[in-house]
Amino acid sequence: MAKIEKTKELDVSIPEEFALRDEVRFLKSEDVKLFRLLRESMNRIEPAYVATYPPSECGIATFTRDVVTSVAKYMPFSKPIVVAVRREHEIEPYERIVRFQIYKEQRESYLEAARFLNNSHADIVSVQHEYGIYGGPDGEYILDFLEALEKPVVATLHTVLQNPSPNQKRIVQEIVRLCDVSIVMVRVGRKILLDVYGVDSQKVTVIPHGVPNVHRVSAARVKRALGMADNSIISTFGLINRGKGIEYVIQAMPKIIKKHPNAVYLVLGETHPGVRKYEGEAYRNMLTELVARLGVEKHVRFNNRFLSLDELVRYLCATDVYVTPYLNKDQITSGTLAYALGCGKAIVSTPYLYAEEVLADGRGLLVDFASPDSIADAIIRILDDPDLKESLEAAAYRYGRRAAWFNVAVDYLGLFHRVLNRRRLAKELAESAQSASK
Amino acid sequence: MEMDLDVDVTMDGDVGIIRLSGELDAYTSGHFREVMINTIEKGCKHLVVSLANVEYIDSSGLGALVGGLKRVSERNGRLVLVGARPQVRKVFEITGLERVFPIYRTESEAAESLK
Repeated sequence: MAKIEKTKELDVSIPEEFALRDEVRFLKSEDVKLFRLLRESMNRIEPAYVATYPPSECGIATFTRDVVTSVAKYMPFSKPIVVAVRREHEIEPYERIVRFQIYKEQRESYLEAARFLNNSHADIVSVQHEYGIYGGPDGEYILDFLEALEKPVVATLHTVLQNPSPNQKRIVQEIVRLCDVSIVMVRVGRKILLDVYGVDSQKVTVIPHGVPNVHRVSAARVKRALGMADNSIISTFGLINRGKGIEYVIQAMPKIIKKHPNAVYLVLGETHPGVRKYEGEAYRNMLTELVARLGVEKHVRFNNRFLSLDELVRYLCATDVYVTPYLNKDQITSGTLAYALGCGKAIVSTPYLYAEEVLADGRGLLVDFASPDSIADAIIRILDDPDLKESLEAAAYRYGRRAAWFNVAVDYLGLFHRVLNRRRLAKELAESAQSASK
Repeated sequence: MEMDLDVDVTMDGDVGIIRLSGELDAYTSGHFREVMINTIEKGCKHLVVSLANVEYIDSSGLGALVGGLKRVSERNGRLVLVGARPQVRKVFEITGLERVFPIYRTESEAAESLK
């Protein structure tokens, strides 16, 4: 089985930003007058975030750090706080921004976190929700935290099931009730919340999944640096587990290779740590056996580790067709698909809810679930037709620009402002009603 | 990388007018900084920066503008903006930088404000 070598350094990495925060730091010593003008004029929001956080290897942790850092870049005078959720036996060398830790399975820990934030300088709290990251049945301990929290709060819902169990449904309904606003990343998520969960439509908003700020680059140049100049590159990345459906792309490879003998499928990413705990590398081993059985060893390569953002971007830039062959129709978020859009890739995907919405209007090709034939046909169609490929790439890139993290951060900040203003107004109204009744 | 920002500079007395078109972000703000510095070094005391054709701006674009403001302030000059689109204007409103950088509807209004 071919393994991917460490890539040579190439100028496709995301540039180091000299952002507003850096400029302001310099002003403090170089131009005190301007520094003071900025400090007095600029808006100041003090957000706190509750979720898993790196170095925990999970999609929500990565997402949280992206939100935290993107928002902070616009608020040079603020000091954000993170409350990280962790398993008790794990030792996580968190960054200093993590000021409090919730032990996932300790119920009391959730109340302590709420007390910590109630006494902190934070003026709004942003919670990431996914059933699995919190303790208790279906992660219900998060409700204890929300009940005890006295600050304005917004929740980002990463999973909105179409057919939830009664307890799952209750938890999401309670989260929406207890939060000022809940965020979903696609319109269909909002529709499900209204239709299935019956929540107040005023309390749900849509903010897209953020993507890295990557400008388009010639794939040929990146392929050369990877030593794959003559290959048609198909790729899938992310934490690997059975729901990804990677076996169906591998089964599609013989048909693809017949038409495009230089095609290579890159499977980028390690096995999901949570999955590794209960079944080890069983799924990956099944995939490698399948590759051997089909005799496509030269056309499928695995990179079994957690990739840095720069590495991911490099592989994505070199990719001709990005594939998400996922098997769960209900999935309403995919960070990897969002990233591929951001890099302006031609995308083939099964029609899970998130993909169906973001790949509409010519931004990608949808294929049947668990269908190697359907996957092969779509990939061949793109590799055969440069005009189609270019049109898909351009449409994906346009969508991805609006969803770049720097734009999504502005959406989050705008929401924080609205929530704080609404709370302020409600407080003023209550106070004036109280004084009128005296 | 493709450069996704076009920059056009004209000078009117001691006012430098910089028209930007495209995206002002981490990839392009370095180039914009250089243009501002060159324009100031050529003798412009004030800068008018037109954002009318800027689609997106990020915090490095804002950082570049603050850097430009610092340089013109050293010469008792001013930096004003023209014609931000809704997405760009929203960034100035949300950060509060609209209170630091006046935003005018037209270049002539902006130039007039500097007299």
